Amino acid sequence: MTPQADAIRITNLVKRYGNSLAVEKLSLSVPRGSMFGFLGPNGSGKSTTIGCLTGLLDPTSGTVEILGSRFTTESADLKRRMGVMPETLGLFDPLYAHEFLTFVARMYGLQEPEVQQRVKELLAALELTDSGKTLAEYSTGMRKRVSFAAAVIHSPEVLFLDEPFESIDPAGVALLKQWLRRFTERGRTVFITSHVLETVERLCDRVAIITKPGKLVWQGDITVLARDGTVQFDGREFDSLEELFLHLTGQKYDDLKWL
Amino acid sequence: MNWERIGDLIRLRYQLMWAKTRSRNGKIALFIIGYLLFVMVAVLVALGGVGAGIAAIRTGRAERIAQVVLSGLFINAVMATILLGFGMSAVFSEAELLRYPLHERERFVARHFLGIADPFWILVLLVELGLVFGMYVLGACSLGYGTGAALLLFVCGYLFARAIGAWIDGLMATRSGSGVVLLLIFSISILPRIMLAALQKNPAARKQVLDALRFTPPFGAAAAMTHTGGTAFAGLGLIVLWSIGLALFLVWLERRPATAPRQQAIRGVVAGKADFFDRLGRLFPPDIAPLVSHWLHFFVRNKRFRMLYLFSFPLAAFLTWNLGQLPKGHGDLFVAALGTLPMVTFIGTSRIAVNLYGYMGDAFRRYFLFPTDPAASLRAGSYASVLLGGFALLPGAIVWAIFAPSPLDFGVIVMPVINGLTVLFLFNSAGLWTTLFGPRRGKYDRSLGNDMSLLGNIVVIGSALTCLLTPQILRRVAPDLVSRDNWWMLLPAAFAIMVYVASLRAAGALFTGRRERLLAVVEGKA
Repeated sequence: MTPQADAIRITNLVKRYGNSLAVEKLSLSVPRGSMFGFLGPNGSGKSTTIGCLTGLLDPTSGTVEILGSRFTTESADLKRRMGVMPETLGLFDPLYAHEFLTFVARMYGLQEPEVQQRVKELLAALELTDSGKTLAEYSTGMRKRVSFAAAVIHSPEVLFLDEPFESIDPAGVALLKQWLRRFTERGRTVFITSHVLETVERLCDRVAIITKPGKLVWQGDITVLARDGTVQFDGREFDSLEELFLHLTGQKYDDLKWL
Repeated sequence: MNWERIGDLIRLRYQLMWAKTRSRNGKIALFIIGYLLFVMVAVLVALGGVGAGIAAIRTGRAERIAQVVLSGLFINAVMATILLGFGMSAVFSEAELLRYPLHERERFVARHFLGIADPFWILVLLVELGLVFGMYVLGACSLGYGTGAALLLFVCGYLFARAIGAWIDGLMATRSGSGVVLLLIFSISILPRIMLAALQKNPAARKQVLDALRFTPPFGAAAAMTHTGGTAFAGLGLIVLWSIGLALFLVWLERRPATAPRQQAIRGVVAGKADFFDRLGRLFPPDIAPLVSHWLHFFVRNKRFRMLYLFSFPLAAFLTWNLGQLPKGHGDLFVAALGTLPMVTFIGTSRIAVNLYGYMGDAFRRYFLFPTDPAASLRAGSYASVLLGGFALLPGAIVWAIFAPSPLDFGVIVMPVINGLTVLFLFNSAGLWTTLFGPRRGKYDRSLGNDMSLLGNIVVIGSALTCLLTPQILRRVAPDLVSRDNWWMLLPAAFAIMVYVASLRAAGALFTGRRERLLAVVEGKA
């Protein structure tokens, strides 16, 4: 493995649920140190793909390489180097935030003094010190912060964030963006799915767009939008990521004349 | 009143019930439940209803038999609704109904129409109508009064069950709620038996009790079914009054401001300090220690676990005493304890042990993100269940040692404990398999109701019945096997441990392959 190797490489990934095809021969690579946006309409297979990339689901066929090594559900060593914030957050509701983060940190093998220090620092940084409530009693935004804290507590090299910005207040989003930028500046990789295209446009340097069923329709450098003001595709120029996305995914909101 | 929308909601409820049958497990469950219901309806209507009606006429004690049948039915329906959760679908809670264009009064009516339209309550109504029909055929009942009484009693029973359920829900939200409910359940379990014994010895008190019971809904219905004119009207009026009172009580209970969430649990919890369960978890290898500690917390924070865990001790004592007093020399406290003491090893943990991931929701997927063997979570959950179940044996054995019959010897104390270990490991072996093959999404915070899968019910109820019946059967067919000197009882215990170890390995190996199915169930997508 060379230092320049891709952080994530997906080759011909296929995922079927019975007869239903969720991901169709998806191939893409995510360079190390990049902030990678993975976009697609609802039901296009984004979460299924993340499931295959994080060990939650077994691909029907195809391969996934993370940090230069083949990744499977059993790849414990690789999982130690990955952080995941699932779309559904994956919180244990009866626990308090500090208990949950302590548990997660221990699961990643952190030593006890480090566990306590990081938990305290994360709780303070994410303003989660309202310790009288269990996670079940937290607001959606606070739950999202806890899930984010759990994803980064062990300083992963690759971070998967499934819809990280939804339901978080503007100050929280700003803080998150700042952290993520710092994260990639240190050579770590962030893989984000989001429907907030403006945020993705400003935050990510590379983007992949998929349509149903998990079929890659575009991937490329999105920094050209900031640099040149347009991105080209199919001989057309698009002024924003949103325009490109709607063009590629064939969204037909204009057809709803009565709306 | 927007009856059209309410009708739509009732239709939706049955559509949702029907939708459950789209899965393979759902089809199996539907077949079994449908078959059981068919048999129950046939038997109950024929024997419980029509049969009781015929018996009532032939014996010339129509009203008394109607009183007994209707009271039994009323109490059983109320208890089943409260304990098993019939007609209390969370899909149609007040919070859920808020999304529909219904006014507050319409939501109240909709919720309770949805509740009373439960198949269980329809079955109750059928049996009551069966009684009316039986008595009508033999000329001891007016069809009009009888049908009216059955319908009113049906509504009254439902309101009674919902009012008690709402009251208990409120109680459970308070600090001492679990204890009070525990005491109530225990009292309800043992009081009838004690009262019956006392009343049999005191005819004057029995008459007073019967006089007082005349003012209850089932007795009112019995009067309406077996009389005409003023007495029948009085009976019907009594049920109407009860229904109005219960409806008002229910409205008041539902409008009470919700109790503030309990905050006291956080006192004494200091971030960074290992608690007892963390230390207990550290007895296990480092890769699984945090998971065991995590599962122990998951069990003990569950209200139902705490309630059932504590309840298992008085229940075991009550059952031991009852089975030990069986008439005609069939009772033996030691033989009873061989079955009842082991029950404390699984009553508390049972709900979660047979459905480890069912109460996790989307947190279940977290186990696959950790850098461990995903099946470690299954093993850790089972270890936590075994630890908690095993702990219960200690106080159980101490209480048994205090009350055990003399002559007290080592065997009297140790044999039930050995049996307890056998049951503990066999039950938790079954729990592992049920977790994998009979999962069901449940609500962690729900205090009442049966939210186990069909397989879970079979395992839990089957284990309880096996514990109660096996020693009694063995005492008759092979008394040496249940003697206090039979050290061969160690063999089943050793066998149970081997089964448990083998189950841990085999279920662990299957776990990863089953995870997508489990995920779909626990996240409510299947």
